[in-house]
Amino acid sequence: MFLDAVILVLQEVLEAALLLSVLLVVNQLLDQHFTSSHRVAMRWYGAALLTGTAGAALMAWAMPALSQWFDYVGPEIVNAFMQLLIVVCLYVHCLLLQSTLLQRRRRDLYAGLTLLVVIAFGVAREGSEILLYIDGIMGTPASLMPVLLGTGVATGIGVSAGVLLYYALVALPSLVALRTGMVLLVLFAGNMAAQVILLLTQANWLPYSPVLWDSSGLLTEFSVSGQLLYALVGYEATPSLAQVGGYIAAMLLIISTPLFRRCWRSIRS
Amino acid sequence: MTLKLASLLVVLLCTACSREDKEIELSLVIRDHLFFPATLNIPAGRIAKVMVDNQDATPEEFDSKSLNREKVISAHSKTVLFIGPLTPGEYEFAGEFYAKTAQGKVVVK
Repeated sequence: MFLDAVILVLQEVLEAALLLSVLLVVNQLLDQHFTSSHRVAMRWYGAALLTGTAGAALMAWAMPALSQWFDYVGPEIVNAFMQLLIVVCLYVHCLLLQSTLLQRRRRDLYAGLTLLVVIAFGVAREGSEILLYIDGIMGTPASLMPVLLGTGVATGIGVSAGVLLYYALVALPSLVALRTGMVLLVLFAGNMAAQVILLLTQANWLPYSPVLWDSSGLLTEFSVSGQLLYALVGYEATPSLAQVGGYIAAMLLIISTPLFRRCWRSIRS
Repeated sequence: MTLKLASLLVVLLCTACSREDKEIELSLVIRDHLFFPATLNIPAGRIAKVMVDNQDATPEEFDSKSLNREKVISAHSKTVLFIGPLTPGEYEFAGEFYAKTAQGKVVVK
């Protein structure tokens, strides 16, 4: 039970922790590198985490009702919608960070708001699954202790991984760190778009598309490296054509932002 | 340019995906952290609409890496899960919250 809990919770925590630390790094290094940039104030991160936690509790509480929506595919649709909004807000956030079209104050507000949506919705999605899991275990008191302990350990590992990534990136020369951060954001966006496609396919709202490849012989999703790659870049052994297409489309979206281009052209001012 | 490319890709994908013929309906019951039946038979190339009925007092998560499916089913409630179309073979699934007992497989012929 303990190990099950660690694996289950770690999957959820890892994704959110890695995304959070990459956003922090990118925002933090912008000022150092481009004078025309603004990073988002720290209070937005705090607000996002609080909103996300409240959202997780709300989602877990509403799950029985949610399950009945849209002919029993409510959870898929709600999750897909949230995930889609995360991708869009991540795109707008990256757009705003290098935009010169808006007034400074307005730009800061919008960049903060989009950051809030990205983190809060991410935390709510992942957190609600953890809460539902713990709620499910409540019925068997004997399992409660190992599960709570496993949840604690997994949260610790997940947060540590996020902190580690943060310091590893910050230790790099700032331009290299910015570029690495942008590459990771591109991959996260692709991963999340692929998840949207998967959820909509599962709900039968999107038509079936053939499996593009099967790399389960090479690297199974059950292995530790498979799980880690899943959290980092959304590795899947048998992705469908639509999933891969969504992945590439979302990557192109982030690559199209001025922020990405400027990070690459390394304009020092 | 990249933006145009991205939208073009989405449109292309939507048209490339084809709808299969009507889905077959199956039912799956979760009771005492076990699946009934533990084996679901699905014809190859067909979409199965599986009515999952969780009769336990605890939520469960249907989870299968090989089927690419993951869904929480609340306590004492029903849900629908679409599976396939699949190529012949065996695909394992589990109830992630009680993975020791809640085990099953989909057999495609």
